[in-house]
Amino acid sequence: MAKKILCVPFDPVHDVGIKIIKSELDKNGHQTELLSPDLTPEAIVKIAANGNYDFILVSRTLGYGVAEMLARFVDMLDAAGVREKSKIVIGGKPITPELAAELGFDKGFGEHSSLEELLAYIEGREVKLTGAGLNRTKKDITSKYDYSFNNQEIGQLLDSIATKLIDFTKNKKSPGIERAKIQEELFHTEDELKKTKLLEKYYALCDDVIVDGNTKRNFVKGVREVTETELKNLDSFLSKSQPVNPYKIQYNEKQPLLFKFLGSGCPIMDITHAKVCERYGIDGFLIINPSWEARYEGLLQGCLTHENDGTITSFENIKLVKQSLDESTLLTVRAHRGLNTPETVLLAGEAGADLAKINLVYGSLGAGTDPVRLAVDGVEAIKLAAKYNMPFDIPGNDELSGVPAWKTLAGLLINVMIGIKLGAKPILKPLFCYGPHIVINGMMKQNFIDYNAAKINALREIVNSPIWPGEPIAFMTQSEERVQSANSTSYHASLAASVGVDAITVASTDEAYSRGPICITSRIDSIRAISDAFRFIGDARFQTTTQADYYTDDLIKKITETLREVEAKDNLTAAIYDGCLGNKEDGAYPGKFGFGTVS
Amino acid sequence: MTTALEHVMDAIDIETYIVCNDENEGKKLSLQLGQEMNLGEIDIMYQEFDGYGVRVRLRKYVYKPGNMYKYLNQEEKT
Repeated sequence: MAKKILCVPFDPVHDVGIKIIKSELDKNGHQTELLSPDLTPEAIVKIAANGNYDFILVSRTLGYGVAEMLARFVDMLDAAGVREKSKIVIGGKPITPELAAELGFDKGFGEHSSLEELLAYIEGREVKLTGAGLNRTKKDITSKYDYSFNNQEIGQLLDSIATKLIDFTKNKKSPGIERAKIQEELFHTEDELKKTKLLEKYYALCDDVIVDGNTKRNFVKGVREVTETELKNLDSFLSKSQPVNPYKIQYNEKQPLLFKFLGSGCPIMDITHAKVCERYGIDGFLIINPSWEARYEGLLQGCLTHENDGTITSFENIKLVKQSLDESTLLTVRAHRGLNTPETVLLAGEAGADLAKINLVYGSLGAGTDPVRLAVDGVEAIKLAAKYNMPFDIPGNDELSGVPAWKTLAGLLINVMIGIKLGAKPILKPLFCYGPHIVINGMMKQNFIDYNAAKINALREIVNSPIWPGEPIAFMTQSEERVQSANSTSYHASLAASVGVDAITVASTDEAYSRGPICITSRIDSIRAISDAFRFIGDARFQTTTQADYYTDDLIKKITETLREVEAKDNLTAAIYDGCLGNKEDGAYPGKFGFGTVS
Repeated sequence: MTTALEHVMDAIDIETYIVCNDENEGKKLSLQLGQEMNLGEIDIMYQEFDGYGVRVRLRKYVYKPGNMYKYLNQEEKT
């Protein structure tokens, strides 16, 4: 039933808020009357008393002495008998329900109140909440793309490079591949005797540290099992959450999905952070493992917590995180660092993860794994990603070592072609960063837009593939100062929205702080900053300078040259050893973990 | 001997997240936090409940306009 509402801008200047509310109330069929903002309290009381209003809606921004003035105004309305026939409501930016009650109003709405809450109150009904769920569906980042190559020469070079690498890896074995096969059998075996034998075989392929951890529960320093009580408490925390309407970060459907890292070391802390971030609209997470995990043959088993950076990617940990997330939330697991790449992808697939993070080139040049070992393991991992229908995301973080962007992008494209040939769905992850090569060569001297935009333009001119800048965006532009950090992240996020990429990985405002884990407040702060940035840019676009066109052409030219150089080698591993995709001068060195382990 | 608190130019802000069941509990715990930190009465500048807890910005004014600003009193400092 339509209500009669008097809208009162109790403010000499600001009446925008109440005008918006009036317009929404009108749209919902209510009868509203808006007063002008220059009336005296006495004049307003007279109008309110003489009319037959269901609600008196007062709008006011608080400042010095305003609270007292509002309290006096309510007293005047009471004295005139207005409250006997009308509900007196206050709305304004800093208004809280408590303050409204304190001042004598029947109800108060502040900056975080939704229009739905106001309408529900006016219409005398319960607020329509979407419940504890997030009211969204899971997105497939790859669905719009056919991976066709617009640049024929690059497509042909990549075809040759990928074919040669796949041929090179044929019939080659590594302890990592063997373990993945054993794990796969373990997942599908009920026979206890067979399981014991398989585990014996598995441990024979592991380093002692991993065997001790798994058989004697004697873990490396700082690692312990999560207790049953802790798991029960987590369950209770999650089940007690109150339904609220979740936030939406994107202002329109075209804006990119947002991913955040999880890797505090503790799966419980990761999950509590993730659940809060979900409420703030985060679309997905990446599990980042400890650097030591990459150095050992074999993975620890069980639900484990770790005091230092990086969450252990055991099957149980991945599963716990995945099961705790909303069905619509995407989860990717870092697999390409170290000696457990195929096994990690297998565990991620079995645990229900949505994506896996694999880059054969970066894993060798910037993350310490022997190029031959990672080539063999990586190809197997990509096959597993295809088998589990998990797209794989290819981070270009070798650029942070000092590798020029064109070499990093060439590496990403090689992974794309390997993925295509193995039936997987690759996702390009170029950096939006102020990387060492960019700094030294002054490519961002004029602005941070042209070169980042050029990377996206160049990739688009080459291949029709999903693009997800990371990792995180704004890398090396952020400081330990939270406002600067939030701003920098949000500017880069709006650039990402402007160039129309599919997703972005975003940092928290304490990302640059290296002496402790990320805090939830910092996570929320960066989300809020990005949300505002997305609202700000909407469907508009940044105008790049002509320099961006030059950079785009230059990147394509140099990517082509790099790929020609790689193609001229026996195979990708030889090209990596020879520095075609990053050399000592760039700051990139072929890794040594797993050297000589391929047979 | 001056205290560090006296050297605060005007106010201390506490940025944190408090796990709670609703807005009211969040408010109560925020104020309690001020007491437990021996800050006395504090203001809740900003509070936002998301279903698991509240993101809050709490403020303790050390000096308000018109107060005696002890950090300006060089004699007392020494």
